[in-house]
Amino acid sequence: MLPTIGILVISTAISLFEMPNLLKNNKTKELWVFIILLLIGTSLSIALCLKVNLPNPLDWITFIFKPFSDFIMTTLK
Amino acid sequence: MDKQMISVRQLTIIVMFFSIGTAILIVPASISQEIKQDAWIATFLGVILSLLVVKLFIIVGNITTNLTLVEAFENILGKYVGKLISIAFVLFTFFAAGELLYYLGDFMQSAVMPETPIVAFGIMFMLVICYGVYLGIETFARSAEILFPIFVLIFVLFVIFISPQIDIKNIQPILESRTKPLIHSILLFTSIFSFPLVVMLMIFPASVNIHKSASKGIYIGIIAGGIVLVSMITLAILVLGAPNASQMSYPSYAMAQRISIGNILERIEIIMAFLWITTIYIRTFMYFYASVLGLSQILKIKDYRPLVLPMGMILIAISLIVHPNIIHSNTFNNEIWLPYSSVFAILLPLLLVVVAKFRKIKSE
Repeated sequence: MLPTIGILVISTAISLFEMPNLLKNNKTKELWVFIILLLIGTSLSIALCLKVNLPNPLDWITFIFKPFSDFIMTTLK
Repeated sequence: MDKQMISVRQLTIIVMFFSIGTAILIVPASISQEIKQDAWIATFLGVILSLLVVKLFIIVGNITTNLTLVEAFENILGKYVGKLISIAFVLFTFFAAGELLYYLGDFMQSAVMPETPIVAFGIMFMLVICYGVYLGIETFARSAEILFPIFVLIFVLFVIFISPQIDIKNIQPILESRTKPLIHSILLFTSIFSFPLVVMLMIFPASVNIHKSASKGIYIGIIAGGIVLVSMITLAILVLGAPNASQMSYPSYAMAQRISIGNILERIEIIMAFLWITTIYIRTFMYFYASVLGLSQILKIKDYRPLVLPMGMILIAISLIVHPNIIHSNTFNNEIWLPYSSVFAILLPLLLVVVAKFRKIKSE
């Protein structure tokens, strides 16, 4: 519970740091991108704190490149 | 936001630090695993091969004089294909930055401070990087310039202090390994050493003030980085011996632990760790900077700074996800990284050059 609160405090601090400037200058697109990224970051961090099993992007990359790597390994052994 | 410019000398120093990067920490183990005491030959040939790779990047840089790589994708390959490739490229740099953050945390935890959780190092390191990206490439380049003399001094001291421990028997017999594993380790080394330099195309033509001498600067930078790495790997084999070096996760650090001058100058390995902490910082910064700048250019945002902190937050999370353990990261580096990075470092630049020629986009 405590780490989750900590993360929420950090993301509030980040938004308090960046939002006023974005709101003042009417940068709607930047604001949306900022909010979406911050939401992704917060939810990822909270999921990590709660020990949710997150998919590993490098495993997908491994899946895609495995045939090529096998080819290299067999030809250059 | 004003356009920030760096000088050729700063570019040279960044290229040098960037190419040394994590290689100084990982490469000795993974290459000496494959070809034992001939690892230094593979490294040497790999540096020469890297000059060709860099030549390709410079050709791309000359086509896209005022554009970063992400802008060039869109300009040359068209709006939709370009955007798609740019997203893939941004993800490539972003995951690579996460990996580096993991390496640093893992190194600090397993070798230096075993009781501290890995995320603590990630957060501390990321704060510095976010601050650097926030201030921009110009400030960062100047800080690299300041770090350079300290780096050279510590490297020279390292070489001098470790030289009494050299045992020439460790490197014999020379040229024992067969051709195919040698080629594989040359490619492996090049993929870690110079393929990631494709990230430099995010700053190389666009934010360097003198274009003409910039390519010379890149060559000098990569040769300097090559000298550091070749001597580091040769020393690792000479001092530790190939069987020992291949079984350690951080041979360079183990080597630094062996420094002992007259029983007085001992246990200075953490000062020597300055070498790779600096280079890993520069490499992580460049990856992260490229992904933040790339994302803002994909979305056509003029000022990337609002994106820095949230992306840094995601990166810390990514660094905890990408590699569950050191075995996972070793297999990824030795098997997957070569084809994966060659897509971004060889295929895409070649595609850019060919399409630019076909569509007759000339450099200004």
